[in-house]
Amino acid sequence: MGSLTGLLFAGGLGFMLLAVASGLDFGAPPMLIGTEIQAHAPQQTGAANIVTSVVLGYRAIDTLGELSILFASAVSAGLVLGRRHTTAGTQTKGGFILQSGGSLLFPLMMTIGFYIIFHGHLTPGGGFQGGVILAAAFFLPLLARPGARLHHKSLSLIEGFAGASFILIGLFAMLEGKAFLQPMLIQDTLGQLVSAGTLPLLYLAVGLKVGAELASLLSRLIQTEAPQ
Amino acid sequence: MSTNLVLIIALPLLGAFLLPVLMRSSMAIALWSGPAILIYGCWIIADLWLSGFAQPLSVAIGGFAPPLGINLYVDSLALLFAFAVQLLGLVFWPFTLDQESARRQSLMLLLVAASTGLALSGDLFNLYVFYELAAVATFGLASASGSGAAYVATLRYLILSGIGSVLTLFGIALIYSQTGTLNLAHLAQLAPEQLHNSLGLTAFLAILIGIGVKAELFPVNTWVPEIYATASTRLSAFLAGLLSKLALLIILRLLLLIFHQPEAAQVILILGILGVISGELAAWRAREMKRMLAFSSIGQLGMIFIAMALPDGKGMLAVLALSLHHLIIKSGLFMLAEDWGGALERLRGSAKASPLGAVLFVLFSLSLVGMPPLPGFWAKFVLITELAAQVEPLYLLGLAVFLLATVVEASYLFRVAATLYGSPAQDTLSEEIPKTKGLSLLTASLFGAGVIAVALLIAPVGDGLQAIAAQALDVDLYITTVSPAVSGGSQ
Repeated sequence: MGSLTGLLFAGGLGFMLLAVASGLDFGAPPMLIGTEIQAHAPQQTGAANIVTSVVLGYRAIDTLGELSILFASAVSAGLVLGRRHTTAGTQTKGGFILQSGGSLLFPLMMTIGFYIIFHGHLTPGGGFQGGVILAAAFFLPLLARPGARLHHKSLSLIEGFAGASFILIGLFAMLEGKAFLQPMLIQDTLGQLVSAGTLPLLYLAVGLKVGAELASLLSRLIQTEAPQ
Repeated sequence: MSTNLVLIIALPLLGAFLLPVLMRSSMAIALWSGPAILIYGCWIIADLWLSGFAQPLSVAIGGFAPPLGINLYVDSLALLFAFAVQLLGLVFWPFTLDQESARRQSLMLLLVAASTGLALSGDLFNLYVFYELAAVATFGLASASGSGAAYVATLRYLILSGIGSVLTLFGIALIYSQTGTLNLAHLAQLAPEQLHNSLGLTAFLAILIGIGVKAELFPVNTWVPEIYATASTRLSAFLAGLLSKLALLIILRLLLLIFHQPEAAQVILILGILGVISGELAAWRAREMKRMLAFSSIGQLGMIFIAMALPDGKGMLAVLALSLHHLIIKSGLFMLAEDWGGALERLRGSAKASPLGAVLFVLFSLSLVGMPPLPGFWAKFVLITELAAQVEPLYLLGLAVFLLATVVEASYLFRVAATLYGSPAQDTLSEEIPKTKGLSLLTASLFGAGVIAVALLIAPVGDGLQAIAAQALDVDLYITTVSPAVSGGSQ
């Protein structure tokens, strides 16, 4: 009975989606806000990457919200996973090639991660993408040496202060008499590495927070999933 | 002054990020920082209110004028709910002192920030972000009790909530694909031309079902009894009392500003009637305090949906009165249920052991049913008169269901009251009778005092609500407040 209801619901939803899709005018989106932002973004935020100017400028509080959602899910996972006691360290280590490969790749991936974060206001990429690569760099040693532990204390320090600095940068703008999260310190150097004022700092905070959060989440999962 | 308002969202987030770190260095600071932030939030709102708040405000975040940037829209309705969020966050603060307390308090602060955002935000996608944040924080808090039943309930809730989120996002995407803007005031201007068609109705339905998950709307409320029965009572009280009302507030705003179509109201009316019937009948059959309260909450929200469906904003006052009334009553009842959980039969004779708790239960029940001097009567009275003035048969059906539901409600609430005051069964020892005690009884007494205060001051409270309702109904005021320079079409 339940599966039949589910099937009916899915079928009805699919039919509705088809009916709606047939009425949509693809390829000709109304660019009401879009054109406006494209015209003014470089002057108003100083970022050459218009996506960044939307993510950290026009809709910065959405980004703050998304950062909080990630934080909330990491904290919730900690609440659920933190109850079981770990018996990690009993697994066999990876072979020589895996371990050395991991050590070799680690600095390279850190470099790429930070490169993508620091160039978020110029090229495609930014804090979220770079942060994921940073976390992946920490995954490698964890996977090659299952007994190894990440330093949880410093990870949660980074996590907390990176998130806090995003908000503090926003509050700093308020101290200067501007609006919360208003882009500040915009230099007239569009397209340079040092440009777009506080936006790269915001992206650095995002990147560090995302990286630390995902890395600590994985290490927690590894510790919990160990055979009991 | 008004720019300070963004602090009531930013500071709880800041606190949530820093709490786990603070907890390591100093327990005392960490324990008090959360409540301190919430008290400061209450003070900001109270200060704004007392310093002559009359006209609604629009606070642009990031310094970008809407519709380009995101704005907070602050009218008395939004301010009232924002204040309720901060205050109830304080009242239901998880004051536990165990290993998980840092995480739990972080999540509570996130929930408060998200709820405040839901009350204030003037941007459709920003509302969605806060809605998601509230949902994720709720998952963590609901599973925090750690029992198997809580995990199962949370998993179900997570799946249903996920479906709801996808539907909401789909609706928002449809709206954006049609209009090219996400700002509510801007959408309100464009809606008569571009969204009053079948596509707009589809978008509304998707958003209604999606947001309805939190508002305990009829087909998507199956998570309610499980979660309320297994999660901590304080969380249940916050969810049933406040978060459901915030979801309702979003639907109300969308209905007023954007989807001003008779079909939309009709759907809400039908779902509301079904919600009242299913909720009240299930509550009548429930044999457990928290489950009964959960089902009764579904029924109450169904009544609010019926009020919302009244044409031309006639139900606005009823929606507001019923929402606030339910907020106070259900929070109080849940606080009583903290010690009175489990099977209702266990409570036989509890009135002797905890007289104040029993008196409070009767007081809340009387108000919920609608006994004349109590605020519940006035809230229901407003709805009945508005419903009776309608000629369409569906509204009259709503009226009939509403009256029937009140009878059912009285039946199951007074059955519990009779159990409380009955003589205890012979074979139970007096120690086994659960008592209400300590903090939860104190909190419940606060809500009881609130009910009596409102009952005594019903005239000024009614006038205040009328003014708030009138301001919330004024779509032109909303549009001109957010974008004074905008006239007509684009930009």
